[in-house]
Formats: sequence, C-alpha cells, structure tokens
Amino acid sequence: MKTKFLTLAAGLMTATALATVPAKADVKIGLLGGISGPIAAMAPAMVDAAQLALQQVNEQGGIGANEKLVGVVGDSACNPQNGTDAATKAVNIEGVTGIVGPHCSGAVLAAAGSVTIPAGITLITPSGTSPEISNLEDKGTVFRTVPSDDYQGRALARTMKDQGYGKVAVAYLNNDYGTGLAGAFKAEYVDELGGEITQFAAHEEGKASYRSNLAELAKGGADTLVIFDYGDGTGLTILRQALENDFFDKFVGGDGMKSDAVINELGAENLASFVASSPVGEKSESLDMFNAAFKGVGGDPDAIFANTSYDAAFLMALAIEKAGGKKEGVAAAMVEVSNGEGDAIRPGEWKKAKELIAAGTAIDYKGAAGDHNFDAKGDVPGTYALWEVGSDGYEVITEMK
Amino acid sequence: MDLFELLNFYVIPGIVLGSIYALGAVGITLIFAILRYAHLAHGDLATLGAFIALAAVTSLGISPLAALPVAILATAAIAVGIDKVFYNHLRERPKIVTVMASLGIALMVRSVVQVVWGVDTQTYTRGIVRPDDYFGLRIRDREIYTVVAMVLLVGGLQLFLTRSKWGKAMRAMSDNPNLALLSGIDNKKVVMLTWVIAGGLCAAAGFFLGLNTELKSMMGWHMLLPMFAAAILGGVGRVEGAVLGGLIVGIAEELSVLVIPSEYKAAMAFAILLFMLIVRPTGLLKGKVL
Amino acid sequence: MEFLGLVNYALFMAIFIGIYALLALGLNIQWGFAGLFNAGIAGFFAVGAYTSAILTTPAADGRIGGFDQNFVVGWIGAMLAAALVAWPIGKICLRFRSDYLAIASIGIAEIIRLVIKSEPALTNGARGISNIPRPFGDLGYTESQVAYLIIVLVVLIAAYFLVERQFNAPWGRMMRAIRDNEGAAKAMGKDVEFRRLEAFIFGSALMGLGGAIFAHFNRSITPEAIDPMVATFLVWIMLILGGSGNNRGAILGAAVVWIIWSVSEIATDRLPHEYAVQAKYIRLFLIGLMLQLVLRFRPEGLLPEPLRGDQRTTKPGVDPN
Repeated sequence: MKTKFLTLAAGLMTATALATVPAKADVKIGLLGGISGPIAAMAPAMVDAAQLALQQVNEQGGIGANEKLVGVVGDSACNPQNGTDAATKAVNIEGVTGIVGPHCSGAVLAAAGSVTIPAGITLITPSGTSPEISNLEDKGTVFRTVPSDDYQGRALARTMKDQGYGKVAVAYLNNDYGTGLAGAFKAEYVDELGGEITQFAAHEEGKASYRSNLAELAKGGADTLVIFDYGDGTGLTILRQALENDFFDKFVGGDGMKSDAVINELGAENLASFVASSPVGEKSESLDMFNAAFKGVGGDPDAIFANTSYDAAFLMALAIEKAGGKKEGVAAAMVEVSNGEGDAIRPGEWKKAKELIAAGTAIDYKGAAGDHNFDAKGDVPGTYALWEVGSDGYEVITEMK
Repeated sequence: MDLFELLNFYVIPGIVLGSIYALGAVGITLIFAILRYAHLAHGDLATLGAFIALAAVTSLGISPLAALPVAILATAAIAVGIDKVFYNHLRERPKIVTVMASLGIALMVRSVVQVVWGVDTQTYTRGIVRPDDYFGLRIRDREIYTVVAMVLLVGGLQLFLTRSKWGKAMRAMSDNPNLALLSGIDNKKVVMLTWVIAGGLCAAAGFFLGLNTELKSMMGWHMLLPMFAAAILGGVGRVEGAVLGGLIVGIAEELSVLVIPSEYKAAMAFAILLFMLIVRPTGLLKGKVL
Repeated sequence: MEFLGLVNYALFMAIFIGIYALLALGLNIQWGFAGLFNAGIAGFFAVGAYTSAILTTPAADGRIGGFDQNFVVGWIGAMLAAALVAWPIGKICLRFRSDYLAIASIGIAEIIRLVIKSEPALTNGARGISNIPRPFGDLGYTESQVAYLIIVLVVLIAAYFLVERQFNAPWGRMMRAIRDNEGAAKAMGKDVEFRRLEAFIFGSALMGLGGAIFAHFNRSITPEAIDPMVATFLVWIMLILGGSGNNRGAILGAAVVWIIWSVSEIATDRLPHEYAVQAKYIRLFLIGLMLQLVLRFRPEGLLPEPLRGDQRTTKPGVDPN
C-alpha cells in the first residue's frame, strides 16, 4: 500500500514532467521572478508588466513569422537555490530563447553563473541592482534595465542638494539594494557636495517595530529622513512609524519607495512631505504610453520596478526579432536595438519596430524607465526624476541630473 | 536622553512588540509542554488569523476590534482541523516527524493566504494614527488595545488552567502524561483544547501585529524565531514565563539599537536566549527540560 | 523539449542533489548518530561557502582576500573553517538537549547570517562574492556540468564510505549508545560530551564542504543563499523523509525531496496561463502536501535506520530469549 502510493505519486510527477512537450513552434522567453520569498509583494506586478509586453507583441503580429511569444513564468524565490533551478528549467525544459529576470541580485548572479552564461542564453534583469552583476565575466550576455545603484544614489544626492535639503539621516535596508544606494548617496552627498548626514544606519527587514531605530536616527537634529527600502515592505512600516511619531519633517525615498502601497495605506493627505526618485525615460511620453497600457490591463504602473520589467521584456522581444529567433544572436541584437542610434521605438510600438527590423533599418528603443543605451557591461546609465504625491498619484517635481 | 524619550521611543514600543510576541509564545510553550514538539507553522497560522480578521473587516464592514473574536474562533477551528488531519496520526511517532510535518503546514498555510488574499501589503484601516499624550507618554490607542488584550487573554488562560477541570487536566498532561492518562484524563480532549487555545492566541498575535503595522503574507514567518526565543526564554510550559520572555525579547530588541548597530537588532533575541541557556538552562521561570 | 535539454536538466538536478546529500549526510552524523538537533545548518553552509570563496577568488578591493588558490585548497579550507566555527559553538551548546539545542543553533545561524550581511570587509556584505572559479568551468555547458557532477559524486561517495565505515565501527555503536541511553553510556565510561562534540564538528565540516561546492557551482555566493528555509529546513525534511540514522536514506531523501521541489514547478505550470503567478503559491502548497503524505505513509522514512548485529529479533515485543 505504502509503496504503491509512492510509486503512484512518483509516476504522476514524472508524467506531468514528460507532458511538457511544447504544443506549437512558439518562441518562449523565461520570466523569472521572486514570486515566493522576501519580495513576494513586489513580484506579481513585475511579472504582469513583462507579460504586457508579450501581449502587445502577440497582438501586433507576433514574433518572427507570425509566431506567438510565450512567457514561461518561473519562481526564483529571491535565493540562488531556486533561482538556478528555475533558470535551468526555463533553459533546458522549456527551451527559452532568452530570460527576463530573476529579480534579486543573488539569484541573478547564481543563475547567470551556473546556467545562462554557460548555455549562451541572454539574460536581462529588471531589478538586480548589485554592482557585482556589472563585473560578471558574461561574454556580453547579461543585461539589466535598472540603472546601477551608484547612479541613482548620486543623482538623488545632487538633486536634494539643489532642492535645498540640509542635514539628513539615512535609513537603508540591509540588502544589496539598500546598501548600494545608501553607499552611493553618502559618497556624493558628503564627500562631493559637502552635505551633512547625521545618522547612517541599516535595518533588517520584517521586524514589527522600527521606532527605536527612528529615535536613534533622529538624534543629531536632521529634519529629513532618506529611506532606501521598499515601499510595500519594511519601508512602509518605517515611514508610517516616523509619520505617526513626528520623527522627521521631510522624507525622501529611492525608486523602491515610489510604490502605490505607500499612498494606499498611509493616505495621500499624510504624504505632503514625501518625495521619491524613480527612473523615467528621457522622453517621458514613453512612460505615459506604458502607464496607459498597463492601466488598460488592470495593472498598477506605480508598482516598483514595473516599468523596468516591461522594458526588459520588450527589449528581449525586440532583440529576438532582430536576431531572427536565434539564441546565439540575441545578446548582440540587444545592444543593436537600443544603442541610441536609429528610429525611436516607444513602448507598445511593436508593429512599427517589426516593420523597421524587416526593412533592415536601425531602431532604438526608448523605454518607459529610460532610454536603455547599454554600455559594455550591459548596464544602462538611467534617467531619473523626483516625484511627489499629488491628488492623483505620483507627479514629477523635477528631472534629476 | 531624558526619561520620556526612553519610555516613548524604546520601552513602550518594546512592550507592544513584546505583547505580540507573548501571544504567540504562549501557544508555542503550551504545544511544547503538552504535545512535546516545536510547532513551526505557528507564525504562518498567525498570518492566517490576521487575514481572516481582514476578511471580516472588509466583507462585514465591522471594526477591526470586532473582527478579532471572529479571527480567534476561525483560527482556533482551523488549528484543530490541521491537528486532526495532519498531526494526529503522527502522535506515536518520534516528535521530529511532527516538527517536519508542521514545516509543511507552514508552507501550505502561507500558500493559502497568498492565493486567497494576494501578496499586496494591506491594512485594516487606511491612514495613520498619531499617538495621544498621557502625561508625557505618547501612546496610540491600538497599542493600549494590544497590551490590554494580551493581559486579558493570557490572564483568562491562566485562570482556566488553574481553576477549571480541563485546565487542570492540561497541566497534568504537561507535567506527567503517563500519570495523567492513567488517572483517566481524556487525551483527545486535552489535545483539542490545546489547539483551540494555541490557534486562538496565534490569531490574536497576527491580528495585533497587523493592527500596529501592516498585513503581509510573510509577516508571521518573520516572527517565528523571536516567538520561539521568547517561549524558551520564559521556560517551556510556563504561560507566565512566555509572557515574560516575550516582553523581554521585545524590549531588548528595541533597546538594542542604543548599544549595537541597528542591522544586528534581529540578533538580540538570540543573544539573550543563548546567554540565558548558558546560565539558566530551564528558562527564567523554571520550565521543563525536554 | 530536446533530449540535450533533458540531459542538462538532469545533470543540474544531480549536482544539486549531490550538494544537498552532503548536507544531509552531515546532519545524519549529528542527528542520526548522535541525536543532536542542529537547526543551524545554514550557518555552517555559509561559513564553508564564504571561506572557499575568499580563498579561491582573485584579490579584490574592500574585503579580505581573495587569495586565488586552487579549488581543492578552498574546499579543504571550507571544511576546516566550518569545523573551527562548530567547535566553540558545540563546546557551549551541546549541553542543551534536543529542542534547546535546536533554537540555540537557529539563533547562531541567524547571527552568522547577519554578520555576513553586515561586514563588507569580511564578506563583501550584502553584495556577496562573485566570479568564484568553477573547476572545469571553461568547458562547454554540458561538458562542464558533467565534469562538475563527477567531482561532486567523488566527494559524495568518499564522504558516504567514510561516514558508513564510522557508523559500523565501534565509534558508531558508541554514538548510538550515547544517543539512545546517555546514562548507560556514561556509566560504561564513555566521554559523552567529547563524543558529541566530535560528531557535531564532523557533521558541520561536511556542511561547510556542501556550501563550498554550492558556491563554486553557481560561481557566486550571496547572503540570499543562507535563507533558513532552503539551507536548513529543506535539509531536515530530506533527512527525516529519507530516514534518519541511515546514510543511504539521507542521500535518497535528498534526491526525492529535491525532485519534488524542482518538478512541482513544472507540474503547476500546467495551470492556465492567467494563473501563472498563483501557480507558484500552489506549488508551495503541493510541496507541503507531498511532505504530509510521505510522512503519513512512511513516518519512519523511506529507508529506516537498519537494525544491527546484536538486535536479532525483528519483531518488536518478542522476547529475545
């Protein structure tokens, strides 16, 4: 009885595994994200945004010779174990042409190191911000649409100086995202611009109370708190407890804090003193086009990293089209479709792009989260704007230089 | 730093946090003492309780506090159900098997929460609540509710355990299961009661965590380790010990920021626990050694 | 699905199973032989992974190392470092029995994790260490995986025979005696504390080795890899499900659990397209349910602890005379 049951269970599993033969000659790309695990709250919107790009491709003539572009969603769970496992399955079982994701830097490094680089598959991450990704020996196959922390941290410091912020305290999440941003911000704000940071402290995620952290941060008399964290995670808790206890007058966040959850849960009326930086295309109509399209499918365009995810997926589709569907050519094509030269393609303009590629004309994708002109390391410089909470969601205050 | 600052920003948050830990730790300590295993699904059960309360708030339109009893009853019933379906038949097996089973339950409960309620961060009431001033002490109303509810629930439990027939039976099972069984105590009823109490308290812990901050699908899992630390710190099987342990862990976590870098805040619970185990292995109040 | 793809996937899975089997073997020494409830596997895994990473990567700015050594040096270093870390922990904590040791070791693993995340000078902090050399990593995709699998298998088989020999040797009998009846073992003049410490250190060294092999396979190690769920609890599930006290059970458990863990995703991907994200939550539910079912029908593990020599009766309750 026992053995029978086990055999049956094992048999079922194998049968399902073997039933995975692709039905049509679809072109597949892997959408790997930290769906379970610490960033579970952020991942669905990112996956949905990437799916939107795929949907647009399929609505506007499909990829290659009228083939369907299919996204294979994988759970990288924000750790290397699941990240590599999901990447292997995407590459070997599903036979994907390229991978969008994973979301967390640790999973990106591991998946690239053990799967995609050896297998020659192009990987583009929408949210892996660690500088280690730049330094991978990746034969040019690893890209990202999120600018490195260094750029945003420094740009935010300069903008804040211009806006007249004085003494600030910095609270950052103790992971690669938080430490990277906070380090760059500190280097620019203090060392280059002569500003003053009174307190500079990391915190762990998932704690129920950060009031003592806030009390420590408030020592030294700064009136502004800079938060490098996620607006639907610990960052929200910190912002809430700071507001409730009147710890600081002004709040500044990185792109992770520009989340709808902040407005939904705290109320716009309480957020008059809150601003956040977030990537935006040089031509901000790109962002508007994405926002409208994403709202159209019921998505929330203010979700963290939604626009970078969309760009990553759309770029991947463009690169595959350019490479004629061949895995080997995707990495080179990725640079070609977004190197700043050629006819501008904006979010959703798949038909136009497809025609131009067929005609052999150079194209240049101008994305929702920036123009994405990749450098030799597969990184993008990024363009940022500072946002405030208006009556109708986030509104741009100023471009960040 | 003046006294009020210390109280307002370190001690009071610590007490509130400690009360939440205490509610979970009491359940853990009871399960430890009566059923004799570490229940690793406790955190995720707390998450489930918090989200059941959210469902009651949004669907029935009642106030969060009125939703608390609903959540307690529902979670208690679910806890009993989980025991009946999954843990009960492992009772005669080595306890480690049940510990592993509870780990699987943790995954299952979390996945139910994520499928039913999604993974977005949510709150019972939108907006922020500023604290009121009580002679210089700044306390929010919900913080008072949290501490009062903890005291009432645990006080009621203590009365039940010391005064009522079934409470005494539970304590007998905890002290000497063989003798208790010989003297005719109905094991099944005791186990069920344990789960009713543990599940209910679990829901309360999750509810108050959600009320004081936000509801997230991973919130209970993050609380699991401090709650275990609190239960063992207080002495296994001691309800008042679990409360004391919870309060100590909560206050120590908040005070730790004064002396160590804040990224090590989470380590505080364990540092205290290790110290305690070395100097006094039975816990603060003399608990049983398993 | 091409044949080569299946081969690559199978190779990858075999390597991961090998790594987890090493962790499970290490845990089996501690729990299966000596009855030590070590719930801090992730800590020793991390110490091993980072030690090897520091020893074998080229020199880097801002942290100690790298020392650019051969991977063999790195792996031996990983075992030594894990053993060295285990020694004081064991010295202090092994006097706690069972659940107390469990929570103490979880706490220590969490503290190790926080140190690794927060001390950039030592471990490059939250960013982790990348560009760790993989032995035979310059070969093609499949060849490199085959080569790595062979290395993992050689290590695993060596570890298995070593542990198995010890298990059947007088040492193993003594350990089981201590586990099953501490008082009697003490009365026989066995140095219980020392023997326990021995088992704890040996097991931890194997866990460190597992961590090192993991880091070299992925060519990187980050704090995200030290998540208690995938680095501690998963190994426990493997050992208990495979059969604690049985080395082959530990390895089989690693294989079965990892296959469930990995293949369940392919199974839930059969759900309709709109539920692609929900499918991942359901996958965790399925994993939990599979665990319940196996525990329900094989609570003693797939391969139970073998009865040996002096226990001639096989039926419990029958008088041996």
